[in-house]
Parts: sequence; structure tokens; C-alpha cells
Amino acid sequence: MQSLIGKVNRRELLAYFAGAAGLARAQELVTIPGKRPMLLHNDRPEDLETPTSYFDTWLTPNDVFFVRQHIPRPIIKAESFRLALGGRVEKPMELRLAEIEKLPQHTVAATLECTGDGRGFFRPRVPGVQWMRGAIGNAEWTGPRLSDVLKLAGADFQSPWVTINGADVGLAKTPDFIRSFPMKKALHPATLLGLKMNGKPLPDLHGFPARLIVPGWDGTSWVKWVTNLDIAAEPNNGFFMNPGYRFPKYAVTPGAPAKPSELEVIEGMPVKSYVTSVSDDQRIPMKATMLRGIAWAGEERITKVDVSTDGGSTWEPAKLSRQDLPFAWRLWSIGWTPPHPGYFTILSRATDSSGRTQPVVGIWNPSGYLYNAIDRVGVTVEGA
Amino acid sequence: MKAARITVLLIAIGALARAADSQLRERGKQEEQRSCIQCHSLRLVDSQRLSRAAWGKEIDKMMGWGAVVPDRQLLLDYLSEEYSDSKPVPKPELTADGTASKSNH
Repeated sequence: MQSLIGKVNRRELLAYFAGAAGLARAQELVTIPGKRPMLLHNDRPEDLETPTSYFDTWLTPNDVFFVRQHIPRPIIKAESFRLALGGRVEKPMELRLAEIEKLPQHTVAATLECTGDGRGFFRPRVPGVQWMRGAIGNAEWTGPRLSDVLKLAGADFQSPWVTINGADVGLAKTPDFIRSFPMKKALHPATLLGLKMNGKPLPDLHGFPARLIVPGWDGTSWVKWVTNLDIAAEPNNGFFMNPGYRFPKYAVTPGAPAKPSELEVIEGMPVKSYVTSVSDDQRIPMKATMLRGIAWAGEERITKVDVSTDGGSTWEPAKLSRQDLPFAWRLWSIGWTPPHPGYFTILSRATDSSGRTQPVVGIWNPSGYLYNAIDRVGVTVEGA
Repeated sequence: MKAARITVLLIAIGALARAADSQLRERGKQEEQRSCIQCHSLRLVDSQRLSRAAWGKEIDKMMGWGAVVPDRQLLLDYLSEEYSDSKPVPKPELTADGTASKSNH
């Protein structure tokens, strides 16, 4: 027991003894500061899913925005924060927050989606947080261009890679969360070192004081609590780059392992949509209603959303909201008057500016990434 | 009489098996707590539904990352039984204005 006491906190130890004593449940309360009711997948570290009912506005409020953490988050004080620029730079340096705030600030609207959003839909099931529809949100992100930050240190822009480390560190022998991404994306004018989220300083849970904004790319690339940017000749080869967050080049038989040599780093996200105004098992009255949802396409723009209310026999184009942008989702809506009572299967299928369309079946992969099958919600219409 | 005796015997065996099950569950839960809570809450574990082979891989991955698992066999038996891929996944709990009841951990 002595060794255990050194490693866990008192509350956990009490819970351990409660379990040992055969008590069914320790009815303590866990606090998630700054969040409205959300779906709880993990309380330590916090992994929170946004209920789809909150997806009725173009911008997702910070207090319902999903949270994904691999390892416990650090708490950083603005005064003591330092961002180190290193690797292939003329003059390695450390920046204070105030210095980063002095650079020209830009705002980009972008949808942030967890690489594993929708993992819970895959069969056979795969390990990992069982996200359904809510590991996604759309926000306005503000901060300096990453290229402007890197210029301060005289970065060698001919080098192919930028490696990013955050202040979070692994417990026990859990690997540190480090990512690399290509210089080309680092120099994209929409790639920012984000300081604000929907006009407010980044909340602690979302990476205060600085997180990478990599529009259109998977959430894993959006490193939080950024403390180190290194210009490099080679990509980082730690767990979170390899084998973590890779997708099979060729689809594997569901349930089978992937060939390590055929796994590729995930970058831009696929085309996808959700039905959000109704949810599974909901009962609705038999009268005219407006079906609504969201659609997004990584670095592409959404050009079309088709909706079916009869399980896919017939489809009709939905009306799209005015925001016709790369990186950010669009809201869709379509009026529907149920023709009779009974059960209806509602589907949504998005198409993007590169011609990609959602598949009927998501591509199974061992880690459950990039689920993007046509969305499907079943509702029961009640007669008058 | 003989049939009655057999019935009693079967009931007794059933009760013993149930007691063994509940003992495995209790010991398994303790093993899960002491092996996993050092790094994360048990909610993350208990929301998974995996095959025995997949549970084995997860345990080995976590041991590789420094988890101290005193009785790997017990933990594997417990997780494979309690959180088998043949069981339905519970809906995640909704936090209530920043708080939620903490599940068994």
C-alpha cells in the first residue's frame, strides 16, 4: 500500500478503500468548471462530448464546446508562460504572452473535430473514447499567424517540418503529446497560434494561453498549451505520430489489424454531416416541422446536403446557411410534413467542393478514426 | 424425493456459482481500481465494450505505459466478462451544470 499512497491522491485512495469495502458507489461530485451539461466520457482527464441539441448555432459557445485530453492538463499562468522557438532557426528564443499578443492578430472560423468523432458507431467496436456525434464544434479562433511567430526567430522556412509540444506531460511512462506537421501547412495564412476562442481568451480546458489552429485538419493537430515550436528536417516519430493517429492506406477487413507500413498520418478531415434538430427515439407530433443539421468538409467547402425522410428511397436538397467557407461548417435546414404517423428514418448526406460525398458505410479502421457515414436518426411521428 | 434432492443440489450449485461470480466481480473491480486510477478515471474503461483479445491488447498497452497491474489474469477476466463486446454500451452521463456524480472510482 505504501507505494500506492505515493502515486494517487487522497480522494482516489478513499474511493479505492470504498471499493475494497464493497460499497457500490462513491457519490462524490466532480466539477467541470465553465461547462454547461455535457456528455461525460472521462472525468480525469476531462473528456466531454457536446449534445447535438447545442448544434443549433453557427458558432458553438465555449461553455458547450467538446473537450478531449490524452493526459492531464497543465494549468498555466499568463505571467510565467514562455513559448520556446528552436531547431532550425537563426536565433532560438523564448516569447512571453505579451510579445505574442503584439503580433498582428487574425481571426479564422474553423470547425474542430476530434479524429475519433463517431468512433462509437464502428462495428466491431474499437478501443478509445466512444464518441458519438459530439466531438466537434465550430468557433472563431484569433491569434497571430504561425508564420509570423516563426519569423521572429528567423525560422528556416525551407525545412520541411514543424514540431509542436505542449505543456501537458504523460503520467508514468505515457508518451509526451508531441506532433509534427509539414511546413506547407504551417505557412498557410489561416494557420494560427490561437489565443482566443469566440473572442474570449482560450479557456484552460481548451489550451490556455495558446493552441495551434490548423483549419480543416484533425483535432489531434490542434496542439493545446503550446510551449515549444521546433523547425526540423524530420517529422517527430513519437507515439502520437506513429503509430497513433494514422489511417490505413487501404481499408482493412473489419476486426483485422492494419499493416504498420500502410498506415498514413491523418491530415485533412473528410466530408460529413449530422441531423441535429431531432434525435434517436424522439417522438414528434404529426405536423409541419423544420429538420436541421450541420455539414463540414475539412479544408473544403460544403456545396450540397441531401436529406431523406424515408430511409434513403428519395432525397431532397436542403437549404444551406450563407457561410460558404473552407474550414467552417454550414447549417442546413429543410421543411418536412410527415405524411402519416409511424417510424421514420431520416438521413443526411453532404457533398463538398472537391466532389467528395459521404459514404453509406464508414470505413472501419482499428483505431476508429474519421467515421463519416451518412447520418441516420430514427423518430416516431405520433398521430393526432 | 430424488428429484427434490437434485433440485436442491442444483440450486446450491447455482448459488455457489453466483457467489463466485460476485466475488470475481468484486475482486476484479478492486484490481481495476488499483491498476488504472493512477492515470485516469474508470469511466474511460467502463464505457468500452471489447472482445477478450482486444482487452488483452489494451492491458498490455497500458502496462507498456507504466501501469502497475498486480494480477493481469484477474483484470483480463474481469474486463472481458463485465465489459464484453456482447453487452450494450450505456449512454454517457450528462453532467449537471458543471458537476456530475462520480462513478465508482
